Amino acid sequence: MLKTNGLTKKYGAFTALNALDLEIGEGDIFCLLGANGAGKSTTINLFLNFIEPTSGNATINNLDVNEHALETKQVLSYIPENLMLYPSLTGLENLDFFCGLGGKSYSKAELETLLQQSGLQTDFIDKRVQNYSKGMRQKVGIALARAREAKVLLLDEPTSGLDPKASNEFSELLLEMKDKGVTTLMATHDLFRAKDTGTHIGIMKEGVLVEKFESKDVSFQDLERLYLKHMHN
Amino acid sequence: MKTSIRIAKKEIKIALREKLVLALSCIILVLLGISLYTGAIAYQQQQEAITKAQKEKREEWLGQGDKHPHIAAHFGTFIFKPKTVLSLFDFGLDTYTGTSVYLEAHYQHQFMFRPAQDHSSMIRFGELSAALVLQILMPLLIIFLAYASFTREKERGTLRLLSSQGITLTSIAWGKIMAYFIILLVILVPFVLGILLLSYLLKTPDTITDLGIRIVLLGAAYMAYIFMFIVLSVLVSLKSSISRNALLTLLTCWILFTIIIPKTVANLGESLYPLPSMKIYKEAILKDKKDGLDGKTPRAVRMAQLEKELLTKYKVDSVQQLPFNFDGVKMQAGEEYGDKVYDVHWGRLLDLFNKQNKLGSYASLLNPYIALRNISMGFSATDLNTSVDFQKKVENYRRVFIKKMNDDMAQNSKYGEFYEYSVGLDMWKSVEDFEYNTPSIYATLKKYTLELTSLFCWTVVLILLLNYITRKTKPTNG
Repeated sequence: MLKTNGLTKKYGAFTALNALDLEIGEGDIFCLLGANGAGKSTTINLFLNFIEPTSGNATINNLDVNEHALETKQVLSYIPENLMLYPSLTGLENLDFFCGLGGKSYSKAELETLLQQSGLQTDFIDKRVQNYSKGMRQKVGIALARAREAKVLLLDEPTSGLDPKASNEFSELLLEMKDKGVTTLMATHDLFRAKDTGTHIGIMKEGVLVEKFESKDVSFQDLERLYLKHMHN
Repeated sequence: MKTSIRIAKKEIKIALREKLVLALSCIILVLLGISLYTGAIAYQQQQEAITKAQKEKREEWLGQGDKHPHIAAHFGTFIFKPKTVLSLFDFGLDTYTGTSVYLEAHYQHQFMFRPAQDHSSMIRFGELSAALVLQILMPLLIIFLAYASFTREKERGTLRLLSSQGITLTSIAWGKIMAYFIILLVILVPFVLGILLLSYLLKTPDTITDLGIRIVLLGAAYMAYIFMFIVLSVLVSLKSSISRNALLTLLTCWILFTIIIPKTVANLGESLYPLPSMKIYKEAILKDKKDGLDGKTPRAVRMAQLEKELLTKYKVDSVQQLPFNFDGVKMQAGEEYGDKVYDVHWGRLLDLFNKQNKLGSYASLLNPYIALRNISMGFSATDLNTSVDFQKKVENYRRVFIKKMNDDMAQNSKYGEFYEYSVGLDMWKSVEDFEYNTPSIYATLKKYTLELTSLFCWTVVLILLLNYITRKTKPTNG
């Protein structure tokens, strides 16, 4: 579903991502761990075609994201660390607007249901987003992914700054989507969330994927040890 | 297109919820309303005053009693420059070009009673006309409306979210442009309806030709100008990293376009092609009338030559034997020589005006504000070309009028007889009242090809630039 071949991004002499080879199958949740500047967000930005690779390529459904930018974006949904919506529009209006951009049309009732299923409190649905917490905005992001019937989720530290309850709710929603065959690439600092939610985990350091394994093969303690080992080296 | 429409709807919804946009729109609308109202009042008052004065002067002319035609030629008459109905929208140069002129034999008097003479020095900063509001203040509203069109999306992070939905920056940009254009059209609808209503209500027997076409062309030119400023604002916002930079860049453009370049061009024109002072201009005409255009044939010599020619032609020994009153012919000959002198000096002055104007026209290629300002005055028939056309037609009228008096004197009176000869009402009636019609819109269009080209090029180039840059720009960078 998601694949990179020798994907590299350089900014002058600085290598943000170095020859990344990655393959994520349908329905997998791949969690990328690493310190700030490790290349996690760069990987996601390259999949989104927000930046162009220096060399190598990234594909979604065998389509090069650089050559087929619009087609590949049709199947994905992106939730950044801090999902920003239009503050003077309500959650429902934001959802309606973004769905429309993807060519999806829903009735008001259907949009309300989507927001409720994504965990947004009913009395906030018609309130302007300027009154939303970060967690609420992330839930609108999930509702949007559902509404767009996204096959791929690209998440850039989506639970960063969320309280444990909101993080847990978010993870549950990801697992629900996984069961529906949605493939997820998530950049995160949260080892616990990676172990708990991810099917696969990769550890990145200085633009290089230094470790890759299935999460079922390691305990949380092993994961923590492994992570710290790479960070300290 | 569907995507752009959806983005446009969202932008309009957000704009309507933002109090600043609503407040600015209200201010513009109020200013347009005030300027239109004051323009209409001024037009109505001046038109009434002109009609009344013209009627009084005509009655004075007809009621002057029996007298010698040359005395009548010095009794003269006044011509008042009629206001065009579109002057309620764009005052143009009307404030500076004078409203009336006294016509008499031998002299080409200057226009008198310039409205600017009666105003304070503040008039130098421009009267509040609807055209001024649209030309100068409307771009400011556009800037405040659109400067953050992309930068705010970048700052909030919504641009990345938008782009991740599989839509191009080009679609986003055109959605925004569409939204701002619709918002401004909505603001302008009551204003345009007001202009049309006032044009209909106030349309006295007007001097302006092709009024309908002029209104349509004015509307098109202003729409192009507004559209162009919207595209420019969106483009600057797209290329700026933060809203403050976009605002500063656009305000700099606005100051350059509306203040610095126009003033610089005006000063440059004045320096390159300086106009003579009125004193020097009048003295030069008097001198050439007195000494002849070549400086060697004073009036006495010219008249002696004329006398000699006529005596030879009619094979007579004295002017008394001529079959017409030689004094009348002499008067007309003096008049025609005076006209020739005037044409030379007026031609030189006009040449300087045209050179200054041409400089402005070339500058309009760099500055769409100058282009629109000139086009607006031209289409409203309040520009220099219309003023010159009026002056030429008035001068022609004066020449015909004086010739009629001189010819009558020559044909019907005897040489040496002055106070003994008189004419009356029938003669005065034969001098038709002056009627003025502006040049046709086609003639006006020809005068403003550079300005029209400028507006067209600015719009097309900005559109092409926007499409090119939106295709080349990634949502993560400016």
